Amino acid sequence: MGGYGDVKLLREDGKRLDGRAIDEMRPVTIEAGVLPAADGSAMVTHGLNVAVAAVYGPMEAHPRKIQRQDRAVIDVRYNMAPFSTGDRIRPGFNRRSREISKVTAESLESVVLVERYPRSKIRVEIEILAAEAGTRCAGITAASVALADAGIPMRDMIVGVASGKIEDTVVLDLDKAEDNYGQADLPVGILPNTGEIAFLQMDGDLSVEEYNLAMEYNHKAAKEIHEVMVDALKRRYEGGEA
Amino acid sequence: MVELVPSLLRQELNRLAAEGQRIDGRGHFDVRDVHLEVDCLYNAEGSAKVVWGDTIIYAGVKFEIRTPWPDRPAQGSLMCGAELRPVAHRKYEPGPPSPESIELGRVVDRGIRESGCIDMGELCIVPGEKVWGVMIDIHVLSDGGNIFDAAGLAAIAALRTAVVPAERFDVGEDHTLKVNGTPIMASFKRAGGRFVYDPREEEELGGDERIHITLGDEGHLHSLQKGLKGVFTPEEFAEILAVAEQKCSELRKMVAEKEGN
Repeated sequence: MGGYGDVKLLREDGKRLDGRAIDEMRPVTIEAGVLPAADGSAMVTHGLNVAVAAVYGPMEAHPRKIQRQDRAVIDVRYNMAPFSTGDRIRPGFNRRSREISKVTAESLESVVLVERYPRSKIRVEIEILAAEAGTRCAGITAASVALADAGIPMRDMIVGVASGKIEDTVVLDLDKAEDNYGQADLPVGILPNTGEIAFLQMDGDLSVEEYNLAMEYNHKAAKEIHEVMVDALKRRYEGGEA
Repeated sequence: MVELVPSLLRQELNRLAAEGQRIDGRGHFDVRDVHLEVDCLYNAEGSAKVVWGDTIIYAGVKFEIRTPWPDRPAQGSLMCGAELRPVAHRKYEPGPPSPESIELGRVVDRGIRESGCIDMGELCIVPGEKVWGVMIDIHVLSDGGNIFDAAGLAAIAALRTAVVPAERFDVGEDHTLKVNGTPIMASFKRAGGRFVYDPREEEELGGDERIHITLGDEGHLHSLQKGLKGVFTPEEFAEILAVAEQKCSELRKMVAEKEGN
């Protein structure tokens, strides 16, 4: 966390700078099947974040050394477009995107029925077109909808959501300023049907009580986002299209 | 499979061409549906989204302040790059920029640069010390064929709607970037033995050489590129150049309409 400390993030009336209540999420919209070239795809807007995910496969696993005899491997690439942030990002992988790709892949492997596709590979490409805090969560949500859109069997989808702490107050869904100047960030991936957690990261400073409250907010938000995810898939398939 | 499918496609494209047909029913110089959206990305200083048939491309413009090249102390710079990331098609692999993505970025770059639509002198802030570097990044999200024309359109539309973020860098007030012209690209592909405009994926896979023509507002040529194996006659080029003039002015009108909004 930035930890500048002296930046005011809560207003006199207890609301946040953008007018949200402390347990209020930014608006989320989801569209499934947005990329014609992909086997499955989704676009998620979460506040000002824009994440697009494409799924290719299951396909033959290349190179051969990555093959697993009893299951599919999930190959995730999380990438921020050069124009997605205030200062331009040089194209190509960096340490941050490699780490996010790795833990996202491992989360998705926990829900996809990978044992159905031995020796194969499922490619998940997450592209961040606009970044305003919370891109890894928007990416996980987009990847889940894209996998479902591709018809890949899963135990459940994963909802990406985060809570954090600003001015010693636990809040749901940090925006850019809150992420930069806040005290903690707790992004998680939740299986909405079971409440299990497939993705977990955290940085900053949280007491156990604060952690529990942040998780409570996350579970509540996951249910809301899950409805939007299901609605996006219904809109894509109920019309009899594809 | 990689060898077999193009050869079957090639036979099919030849058969269709002999009947004067095209794989999707278009006339050989007809375009697919093109949709352009501008100012669509929050953090880019200029942005555009092009949906061109099954091809989807975003372009974003960013600015940076840099020290000028010693031999051009009062000139800023422009750079256009493209990424063919694995999101766009199953055929694209992760890794360093491929020759194809470098070619795409450079052909679009030349069309914009050589049209002179950006006055590099206007990008100077303090001669010898501070100039603007303008970067256009082309991000291909779905490759359904003819990414060149879609990338060119997205790039110029993003550039023409860009706002110079001078306040953020503390060098004056934000202002729209001055762009004097709208260079537009038209691409042709030999499929079934003759040239077609706006090739779709199957025509790219089962065809031969491609030709990219970028024309300025006055119909002048600013960038040409021939790619892939094949040869063409001067007569063939004269024919597609005449088609390019008409196609480019139609797309130029589309950009002007979007700017007006």
